[in-house]
Amino acid sequence: MGIEPAVQRAVKPALVKAGRLCKRYVQRAPFSRKKFIVDALVDVDFEIVPGCVTAVVGESGSGKSTLAACLVMLEKPDAGEIWFEGREISRLGHRELAQLRSKIQLVFQDSAGALNPRFSAAEIISEPLMIQRQDSGNQLRTRACELMEEVGLCADWADRHPLEFSGGQRQRLAIARAIALNPSFLILDESLSGLDLSTQAQILNLLLDLQASRGLTYLLISHDLGLVGQFADFVAVMHQGRIVEHGPRQQVLGNPQHEHTRNLLGSVQTLASNFYAAQAGSR
Amino acid sequence: MQRKRKLVSAVIFLCSLHLAILLAGFVAPTDPTAQNRDFPFAPPTRIHFVDAQGHFHLRPFVYESASSPDGLYQYHDLHEHEYPVHLFVRGSEYKFAGLLTCQVHLFGVDAPAQIFLAGTDTYGRDQFSRILYGGQMSVAAGVLATGISLLLGLVVGCIAGYYGSWIDESVMRLAELFLVLPWLYLLLAVRTFLPLHITPAATFFLLIAVIGTIGWARPARLIRGVVLSARSRKYVAASRGFGASDFHILRRHVLPHTYGLLLTQAVLLAPQYIIAEVTLSFFGLGAGEPMPSWGSLLANLQHYNVMVSYWWMFAPALALVLVSFGYLAVANVFHEQLQSGSI
Amino acid sequence: MMRYLERRLVHSVLLLVGVSLSCFLLTGLAPGSFFDEMKLNPQISPGTVAALRSEYGLDQPLPWRYGRWMKSVLRGEWGYSFAYNSPVKNLLVVRACNTLLLTSLAMIVAWLLAVPLGVWIANRSGRWQDRVSMAGTSLLFAVPELVLALGLLYLVVRTHVLPAGGMTSAEFERLGLWAKIRDLAAHLVVPTTVLVLGSLPILIRHVRGSMIEVLQAPFVQAARAHGIGRTRLLFRYALPAAANPLISLFGLSVAGLLSGSLLVEVITGWPGLGPLLLEASMSRDFYLVTGVVMASTFFMVIGSLLADVMLVVVDPRVWTD
Repeated sequence: MGIEPAVQRAVKPALVKAGRLCKRYVQRAPFSRKKFIVDALVDVDFEIVPGCVTAVVGESGSGKSTLAACLVMLEKPDAGEIWFEGREISRLGHRELAQLRSKIQLVFQDSAGALNPRFSAAEIISEPLMIQRQDSGNQLRTRACELMEEVGLCADWADRHPLEFSGGQRQRLAIARAIALNPSFLILDESLSGLDLSTQAQILNLLLDLQASRGLTYLLISHDLGLVGQFADFVAVMHQGRIVEHGPRQQVLGNPQHEHTRNLLGSVQTLASNFYAAQAGSR
Repeated sequence: MQRKRKLVSAVIFLCSLHLAILLAGFVAPTDPTAQNRDFPFAPPTRIHFVDAQGHFHLRPFVYESASSPDGLYQYHDLHEHEYPVHLFVRGSEYKFAGLLTCQVHLFGVDAPAQIFLAGTDTYGRDQFSRILYGGQMSVAAGVLATGISLLLGLVVGCIAGYYGSWIDESVMRLAELFLVLPWLYLLLAVRTFLPLHITPAATFFLLIAVIGTIGWARPARLIRGVVLSARSRKYVAASRGFGASDFHILRRHVLPHTYGLLLTQAVLLAPQYIIAEVTLSFFGLGAGEPMPSWGSLLANLQHYNVMVSYWWMFAPALALVLVSFGYLAVANVFHEQLQSGSI
Repeated sequence: MMRYLERRLVHSVLLLVGVSLSCFLLTGLAPGSFFDEMKLNPQISPGTVAALRSEYGLDQPLPWRYGRWMKSVLRGEWGYSFAYNSPVKNLLVVRACNTLLLTSLAMIVAWLLAVPLGVWIANRSGRWQDRVSMAGTSLLFAVPELVLALGLLYLVVRTHVLPAGGMTSAEFERLGLWAKIRDLAAHLVVPTTVLVLGSLPILIRHVRGSMIEVLQAPFVQAARAHGIGRTRLLFRYALPAAANPLISLFGLSVAGLLSGSLLVEVITGWPGLGPLLLEASMSRDFYLVTGVVMASTFFMVIGSLLADVMLVVVDPRVWTD
């Protein structure tokens, strides 16, 4: 893929825009005056281009997951705004949020923890449909089977429980659940970590197929730079709650401006980073 | 497996005790309030298989009893006629489940003989029947109070564990208050502040309410713990991401974790509450006459002469111990199962 | 460390205040009073009843009554008993001491028995001694204290070995000091035994459980590998490590013991707080009931604080708060 289509895509208005987001966590031990303050997000500004894959990288504790939580409206930022499709969503009430939830979905890292082990695959996938009251009864099951087929799982396994699936299959299940409500924006929070390389490749292919067939926009949160180099169109680097660098992939990975980005890249072996940079340049 | 057999036998034991108590009217040979002024403090009727002539009877029988002239409350058997024990006899009327009137009793003997399996009290009332009916009172009170405690504990524990922060803090402080106080003192104190002269039915429900309400703290704390850990699971966050209401999340994802806990708590609390009711009745603060309760039956033993001379008046204690033991046996098996992780 | 104890002290005081408030709140809800019995008596006019009520301040609003009670507490009287016509304190002191004597003795004996037994059983975990003991304690646990008390009393009454109740014999006053102590001890046997038997199952179980857990810890295995003798190992190495949850249990078991002692005191006629509470309860003597409940809470709190102090002394980890 050449650079031009990426630029063309960048001309469209941003799907998601975040302006000066701030989130602080305060932990107080009971009956103690000591407080632990964690600034998870500090003045975070960025945009997500529709139809593309934007990656957010950084070490643990840099605020990536908090960002994801805010975008999915599981947490409310202390300050700043979030726009989705031109609409400000960080201060919406419960009912308006409910409608919006079908458009933004999140796929967690730990598939075993993210899927309730007591329920069958079909029940898990159809839960969002049930909550949003989009279908009922038999329709739910049919929908669930369709979704399973779409992510490459055999529909006969609809009655199996999550722990009977392998790690990669569970992740497919999580993805099926996430796309059940036909979102336009999918956040993948370390969704490919903890999988072996061949499974990672398979899931990656699935995600690319889904992107093509459904016109999805992805936000990929990862600490795996190799993955980012393969998959992402745009990259943002986070460090201690701030975005220190962002831009098209080949620019950020191939020619890092910020010292921290250089540190991050430097932690991957020089040979590998050169390899990826070369790869990035050739796409 | 061995454990399964243990569980099944313990549950069967417990259920048969409850069944006997539930069907008190059927199992008891006589009306618990029927007085036999001729037979005060009669000892338990002896069941014979071999008669005075040395013949063996397949069907057990009893002899008619009569007062001895030698002392007060002394009885001897009249050996003229054997009165075999029959099953499914027609006897005094009783109400089954408060609706159906029945006359069939599990066992009995023909008049004029009487069968007092556990002797009689000062009014000549059959203790065995009174124990069964008393069991209805005590066990029902205990079980219902357990239900109340668990319900309260479930609701409060869920709210505290799910919503956290100041609600959790304040609820836990309150729970600590209840947990830390000696329960019998608390029970008596609360009982004081309630009216003394109300109908027995009202007293019964009041008793259940008081016993149940005081004990909410322990189940609430345990449930709160379970809810806290369930709440932090990722699939709860995922559900919320789909726009699930708190109620949906509680019902679908959190509540199933509490079932095991509720069951074990039920089996542990029930005997304690039964004992609480028996204690209150023993002190005379129970529902009162005419409904017997194990406590009021045992209260007879507080008279020196009764305790010394009439050992059969201890029978309600045996019933209490059997029920208590049944519950604890089941609880033990549950505990073992939990420890080995099969629940 | 001091801060931790300070916090516990403040907490305990708050607890006592909370209990007193709850009692008064319950009083406010109560649809009746001490003088209800009098009202039923046709010989006493309603006017007299009303006058008595206002004299005792029963027709005043709740906060006013609470304030007056507080003042009485600070004066050292702890309210006024209608039935006995005396300040509550006078009635409480003697009875509280008797209950304290009984419960502390029972506590000491129970723990003195439970710890060695629990350790011994834990040592033989998995073998037949363990199973038999566990079955035995289960059986004992199933027998309620009420039945234990009645049963023991029966035995004593039939065999005339010990006095069957009360605290002292009729000739107590005329006995010499040594004889007095013997008499008291004889009367103490039955109630103490019941309380000890009632607490033993739980205590033994916890000691055993705690010890088994500790015996599996690496540092104990290491000590065994060094060839340290069994007894020394159990009591000098394992037990202190297992002490932590046991001390917490100590704090909690005081409540159970007090409840048990109420029952035992009533049945055996031991003149402690138990019979006093029962009488006050039956005659709806509010301030006396409140006083007794406060006294029992006070003992609870002391027991709990004692447990906290022991915890701090025994477990150095608590210091780093």
